[in-house]
Amino acid sequence: MSTTTKGLKLADILTTIVIAVVFGIIYKVWGPLYDFVKVFGFHLDQLIYGMWFIAASVAYLLIRKPGVALLAEIAASSGELIMGSEWGLEVLIYGVIQGLLAEVVFAAFRYKRFDVLVVSLGAIGATIGSLVMDFYKGYIGALAPWNMALFLIARFVGAVVISGFFAVSLVKALEKTGVTQMLRPASKDDYDALDR
Amino acid sequence: MKPIVAVERLRLKFPGKDTLLFKDLSLTIYEGEKVLLLGPSGCGKSTLLQVLSGLIPHSIDVPMKAERLQLPANWGYVFQDPDAQFCMPFADEEIAFALENIGVPRSEMHHRIQTLLEKVGLFIEPHTDIHTLSGGMKQRLALASVLALEPDVLFLDEPTAMIDEEGTKEIWQTVKRIAKEKTVIIVEHKIDHVIDFVDRIVLFNDDGEIIADDKAQTVFANYKDIIASQGIWYPGVWEEYMVKRQRRKTESSGEKRIYLRQFQGYRSNEVKIRVEEATVHAGEWIAVTGKNGAGKSTLLHALMKLIRTDGTYELYGKDSKQLKQLHRLLAFVFQNPEFQFVTNSVREELAYSLRLEKRKEEEIAETVEGLLRQFHLYEQQDQHPYQLSMGQKRRLSVAASIVSGQQIFLLDEPTFGQDAKNTFALLELLESYRRQGTTIIMVTHDENIVKHFATRRWVIEDGRLVKEEWIPSHSSTTAALLV
Amino acid sequence: MKWNIVYRETWLHHTNPTLKLIVLVFLFIAVLFVHNPNVLINFSLALLLLFMLYTGYPWKFLLLLFLPFFLIFVSTASSMMMFGEGTKTWFRWGLIHVTEESFLRGVHLGFRALSFALLGLLFSLTTRPVRLFYSLMQQLKLKPKYAYSFLAAVRLLPIMLEEFQTVHNALKVRGTASHGWMEKIKRYAIPLLSQSIRRAQRIAVAMEAKRFSSSTKRTFYYEIGFSKYDIALVALFALVAAAAYYTGVHYPYIPVTDVR
Ligand SMILES: Nc1ncnc2c1ncn2[C@@H]1O[C@H](COP(=O)(O)OP(=O)(O)OP(=O)(O)O)[C@@H](O)[C@H]1O
Ligand SMILES: Nc1ncnc2c1ncn2[C@@H]1O[C@H](COP(=O)(O)OP(=O)(O)OP(=O)(O)O)[C@@H](O)[C@H]1O
Ligand SMILES: [Mg+2]
Ligand SMILES: [Mg+2]
Repeated sequence: MSTTTKGLKLADILTTIVIAVVFGIIYKVWGPLYDFVKVFGFHLDQLIYGMWFIAASVAYLLIRKPGVALLAEIAASSGELIMGSEWGLEVLIYGVIQGLLAEVVFAAFRYKRFDVLVVSLGAIGATIGSLVMDFYKGYIGALAPWNMALFLIARFVGAVVISGFFAVSLVKALEKTGVTQMLRPASKDDYDALDR
Repeated sequence: MKPIVAVERLRLKFPGKDTLLFKDLSLTIYEGEKVLLLGPSGCGKSTLLQVLSGLIPHSIDVPMKAERLQLPANWGYVFQDPDAQFCMPFADEEIAFALENIGVPRSEMHHRIQTLLEKVGLFIEPHTDIHTLSGGMKQRLALASVLALEPDVLFLDEPTAMIDEEGTKEIWQTVKRIAKEKTVIIVEHKIDHVIDFVDRIVLFNDDGEIIADDKAQTVFANYKDIIASQGIWYPGVWEEYMVKRQRRKTESSGEKRIYLRQFQGYRSNEVKIRVEEATVHAGEWIAVTGKNGAGKSTLLHALMKLIRTDGTYELYGKDSKQLKQLHRLLAFVFQNPEFQFVTNSVREELAYSLRLEKRKEEEIAETVEGLLRQFHLYEQQDQHPYQLSMGQKRRLSVAASIVSGQQIFLLDEPTFGQDAKNTFALLELLESYRRQGTTIIMVTHDENIVKHFATRRWVIEDGRLVKEEWIPSHSSTTAALLV
Repeated sequence: MKWNIVYRETWLHHTNPTLKLIVLVFLFIAVLFVHNPNVLINFSLALLLLFMLYTGYPWKFLLLLFLPFFLIFVSTASSMMMFGEGTKTWFRWGLIHVTEESFLRGVHLGFRALSFALLGLLFSLTTRPVRLFYSLMQQLKLKPKYAYSFLAAVRLLPIMLEEFQTVHNALKVRGTASHGWMEKIKRYAIPLLSQSIRRAQRIAVAMEAKRFSSSTKRTFYYEIGFSKYDIALVALFALVAAAAYYTGVHYPYIPVTDVR
């Protein structure tokens, strides 16, 4: 019986943005952590880079509607920006591109599948987005080949682990708390039960 | 009279429950009526209000259907929880948000905001951070922003649930003043304040059926027995109850449990509560009273050491600093029941402490079963704590925290939003604990509870314990009656 | 973001937030195409000056804020310096290979990160979220349902930080069994997230109860337009960019014009 409006409903948007902003806080604290790990060298830092894609995965798994992955990444990075990120405006642009590529992956599955595989592919999409930016901004292409290979592998693996597997387990735990029930339309069975 | 809100044969069921909350319920409300929906806790009053306003199913997706549904065009809604209804950070912006929604030109807004604030008796600088307002002020602001919509129909869901006597009176006076011409549909347990305002009462039973629907006086005159058997508040219920109930026995003070001297509790580095000196014994029931914002909750938080404290605080003669795991000695109930839920179902919530103590599974199951029945939560046992009605949440929070046999209870308004039946049952239960020597320190706004159950009263004013008062007991016999 | 710090409102606070965002994003993209370190250094220094003079915050606070940025500068610069490719070797030790090219590229990257950071700070320190989203609705026709959702989220930020304390208190009152750190993170993360979702839902309901809808035409409490400060903003940044370019090309510090 829910009214079908064009695009996302207010409740969907608000929920997406609010959880994205929670992740925005995590994104912000992730910055110093990332720098700290960087000290160990060998691109160990790249293993935790994937955290910056998690808002897209979690929002998509929770709300399950077109557009939320992109919206979540934008909102999370704006939140990070508003809190005074060390990377400044950069985070916003990265957020847009990462979200966009994750969204493309989810769209390719027609927003019908919500499992580890799809979200991991989404994370890989977001990783590619971040790399595109890095090639422009950070002259990544000029790294020594062995170094660059290490860099790429670390980032992709980290993304799949954090924004793929970890995101799925997080959403599973959230589903147990019953909040997701409010986010998804009531099933047809429930409507049928009204006539019993 | 013209009907303004109507449902016919409403059916509604929450997902995952096997019974319908409403089965073929019909109700028509006419223009200008002031209607009170009265019923036991959990019967579906809040849900019905949301259906009548159209919030269900438009904004909240709950499976429902009705043969006919007439919704008002212009309406406003004041929610039970003051914090759940604001969407902007400042008072003026909050009212402006409503004005924007109905397209009031910007040039008129400042003026309108001023007028609205005056109308509800909220005399503050319009650009005030909502966070800094007290509970009563927040509800008044909520009213102002609802009035900004110029509603014909007002839905009020226990707008004074967390507000002190004085504030409650003021809010209802405000409502009476501003809503003369409007249709008003009210859900409220504390009926004393609204009884002379409403002209029609719709009475519900436990199963969400309408059992009476008539003029206010008629309902109280003709359906008294039904009201009483359903455990709903009605005027004079306390007096009748006290006759049935035998009087509390005055105990000589037992062992010393708590000793405080120059005890202070801090919130963001400010002293928010101070107790010069106080001693509490076994078998005492202390009612903590005071205005909204006086510091009652802060006192309990300090006793539980949830906030920074200093001064002397002894428990069972030992310095509290040396005691770890205070939760084994003190049972604590937060003012907002949602603050203490840590599991995903009612049943688990009750079992939580017992599990931590590694009790045997059979024993846990048995205890939980008993509690579910005692607190009228049996049907809800598989629900998530957040999916309960206001009164049910409250009961669960109390039940879950007193299960593991602590000897001192710290309870923050455990009876608000509760119907008569559950209030008395809870009070009797606490009384039986007290008789066995449990110490109860309980925040309440209800003078009847102070008068009839407490042995002592602490008055908090501006963050200080300013007065202690022993309540004389009326006579002395043993054993209490249960309703 | 509410920093509980007293600040002075400067002219930058009074510019149109949308225009400011567009100008700064434009500069961000422009910086991506600057490969001459001389130009970039000049530009970064000019931004630093603006940051110190026109954000209106006390110097101590600005310095404190700046500290992590310095770290970014060093870390960004160093990894390129040590592992980048190049021909003129300066230093080699195991895998570390510093060449002239990689060194300069590193320096350039450091300044680039610095200028991005400054652009971001210039924006976030001088823009109130309420003004930004009202402006986006009015100038860029951002849909109100998005704008107000963002505003609600900003309002919820401090409340969500308090929520952490609430969860902590609940566990203290009810007691916890001691588990590993994974368990602990979950004990906090799950309630925090589920609470925010619930909050968001309730606010959405409250907003619709106030008859918020995207379809009807709405008026605005704050009308954000343009003023002389906006002309000043565009003029100033054009001037800064031109000056940085001109001096960078004609009076270089380092004899390199392209680090690629
Ligand atoms: N989301 C939900 N899922 C399942 N059951 C629910 C949900 N929300 C409410 N209920 C159940 O529906 C019933 C009616 O709830 P409602 O909040 O309308 O009660 P109420 O009459 O307002 O009670 P109170 O006086 O205690 O506030 C309760 O038994 C409650 O447990
Ligand atoms: N978390 C908090 N942080 C800072 N100040 C607080 C906090 N909670 C309460 N206060 C302040 O402490 C004072 C006492 O508040 P408290 O909640 O103890 O009042 P109360 O007597 O319980 O009121 P009520 O009857 O409304 O529950 C108030 O001025 C309030 O604004
Ligand atoms: Mg209710
Ligand atoms: Mg209180």
